[in-house]
Amino acid sequence: MNRCSVIAAILLIPLVTLCGAAGIHAAETVKIGVIYPLTGGAAAEGRELRAGAEMAVEIANNVMPVAMDMAKRGGITSLKGAKIELIFKDHEGNPSLGADLAKKLIMDDKVVGILGCYNSAVTKTVSAVCEQYGIPMINDSSTSPALTQRDFKWFWRTTPHDVTFTRDLFELLKGLTEGKVKGVAAVPKAQITKLASACEKTEFGSQVSETIDMFANQYGFEVSKSILYAPKSADLSSEVRSLQAAKPDVMLFASYTSDAILMVKTLKSQKVRARIIWGQDAGFEAPEFRSSLGDDVVGILTRTVFAPKIAEVKQVAGQVNSLYKQRFGHELSGASARAFTGVQTWAEVLQKAGSTKPEDIQKAANSINIPGEQLVVPWKGIKFATSGPDLGQNELGSGVIGQFQKDKSGEIALEIVYPFDLATANMIYPLKGF
Amino acid sequence: MEILLGSLTSGLLIGTIFALVALGLTIIFGMMDIVNFAHGEFLMLGMYTTLFASGAFKIDPLLTLPLSAGVGMILGIVCYKGFVRFLLRGPMVAQLLGTFGLMLLLRNIALFAFGSEDRTISSGVLVDRVLDFGMGMVFPATKLAAGIFSILAFSAVWLLMNRTRTGKAMLATALNPQGARYMGIPTERMNMLAWAIGGATATVAGSLLVNFWSVTPFVGLLFVMIAFATVALGGFGSVPGALVAGILIGMITEVPGLWDFFSSLTGSRWMAGVSMTPFKYTLVYLAYFIIMLVRPRGLFGWKR
Repeated sequence: MNRCSVIAAILLIPLVTLCGAAGIHAAETVKIGVIYPLTGGAAAEGRELRAGAEMAVEIANNVMPVAMDMAKRGGITSLKGAKIELIFKDHEGNPSLGADLAKKLIMDDKVVGILGCYNSAVTKTVSAVCEQYGIPMINDSSTSPALTQRDFKWFWRTTPHDVTFTRDLFELLKGLTEGKVKGVAAVPKAQITKLASACEKTEFGSQVSETIDMFANQYGFEVSKSILYAPKSADLSSEVRSLQAAKPDVMLFASYTSDAILMVKTLKSQKVRARIIWGQDAGFEAPEFRSSLGDDVVGILTRTVFAPKIAEVKQVAGQVNSLYKQRFGHELSGASARAFTGVQTWAEVLQKAGSTKPEDIQKAANSINIPGEQLVVPWKGIKFATSGPDLGQNELGSGVIGQFQKDKSGEIALEIVYPFDLATANMIYPLKGF
Repeated sequence: MEILLGSLTSGLLIGTIFALVALGLTIIFGMMDIVNFAHGEFLMLGMYTTLFASGAFKIDPLLTLPLSAGVGMILGIVCYKGFVRFLLRGPMVAQLLGTFGLMLLLRNIALFAFGSEDRTISSGVLVDRVLDFGMGMVFPATKLAAGIFSILAFSAVWLLMNRTRTGKAMLATALNPQGARYMGIPTERMNMLAWAIGGATATVAGSLLVNFWSVTPFVGLLFVMIAFATVALGGFGSVPGALVAGILIGMITEVPGLWDFFSSLTGSRWMAGVSMTPFKYTLVYLAYFIIMLVRPRGLFGWKR
């Protein structure tokens, strides 16, 4: 081969690649940037989220045997059958990295919209970037109430936030005193009136702590101790001792996985007694929490948005759950179910918009109404607030409170105890203690 | 009273654990003026060694200690022979950043090999055992074992350094490497020994900790940040300094408990209303900062 042909060959390579890229483009894909914590402290949850999103996009792009509209279309039909392409990025739990990734996705990858970011602190910076560039962002899994109190025009949140979740807890406590809880006779209020909380000192934890104080006041409970602790602690024994000194009836926590495990281990080693222990999702719902602590989790309550038990009472949830289990080897969790719902919402919004222009998507998102029977999560549906103080918040979401219980075969499962009408088992009360 | 005793004993206990983690760091620094940033990663690898070995051979986590010590020694020697030795020839910056790179390398290898999820040991002699002496003095067996081992390790290292010829040779190498070499001391081997001991104490500390703490590839950071403060507080290179500073730091982390005690003692409302827990590590680093200002070589530091 002479020199000329070598040069010609080198020149041809980028040309061919360009054609290739154009070829893919011709198949019409709609790119959504997905920013999750795939490594770092919340990596375990990040992996769940990613799996949930991948499951949803598979169902959205193909015709699958699932009783939801998205599964029957095999693509976005209003966009000539365009397929959704998710571009995953890892924010490592770092808000400034998240913002950089969002800029890159918008400028370089030319995404139509953003989904993410789990950690409320990251969602805060990423949504600010989206707002600045006028790119729609759907948030599937961040629960800091403040996120929807900023009057953002390009931000929608499907998941209920911590105010709703914390209200659920107090509804459960109130229900306990009224004898509404399945399997528990009415409990005198004096038994459960003293609360103590330990939340991590982050956006998420601080908000939960404040909300607990607010509702305790409203529902007539007494918060005898509320602690904010440094997240990812090497040791939590002083925190636990401080809680113990307050002699609470009910202990409330907001922690991510490693802290949640260390917290329960420390509670156990200090022989802490409480009638109720409740975790605000996050670490308390992570599969590692259950697998590392084994029987010690029995009786602990966690709020969640999804428990595999829902699959027993909800047809779509059952169908998606079995597909998910086939592909990833374990059942849907609160994280993966919400990520699934986030992608599903994107698919429905794009379907309704029939365009990838930000303005059309904005209009579609503001008027979307997905009925509850389409969703895997036990909500009444998805409909975003277009006015009021909670702008962009899904008004039809609600939480679930589950309790870890051991079934006859010795398996530990999350049984639903709230809402009362969805309860799948008798609640264990009071907690046996470690 | 329970709170007071509980806080003091728990501070003592966690303090000896912090000291144990800091021991290897201070040995290596004392010998060769190198801060081993990868120290926390040694600890993490010790945790994984015990986790996997006890799972694979179905033995009690405690029985894996010799294995873990061996892994730590080999790791220390390999790091020294294969990496740090070359760094010593480079400028100061290379020495400073070299072990930082080693930290990132080890952490990411662990991330790649073991994944990022939290893992714990759920069976073993120490796991979930608690010794209750009443009056709020509750000792989780794991922490107690780690504390006792810490004291033993400190005694052993102190004896080695002060009562044996090898220890004298190490001290000579630390004081004046060139002079020591002229006197016929194999300084290269002394450095290697320091890394072997440093590595082994770190991995053994990890093996003891994994009975109570869950392990992820990032776990080293939690402990090593405190270990740095401990070493700086006690004096770089000082073995007794690390022990005293470790216990001091353990006590500082219990300040919130003491605060609660005094608030209930005095019955003062504003004290009860203020929670000290969010500031517990702030206080640790504040102590570190003050020592740096007042006495930069640390409490027991002998190197200037």
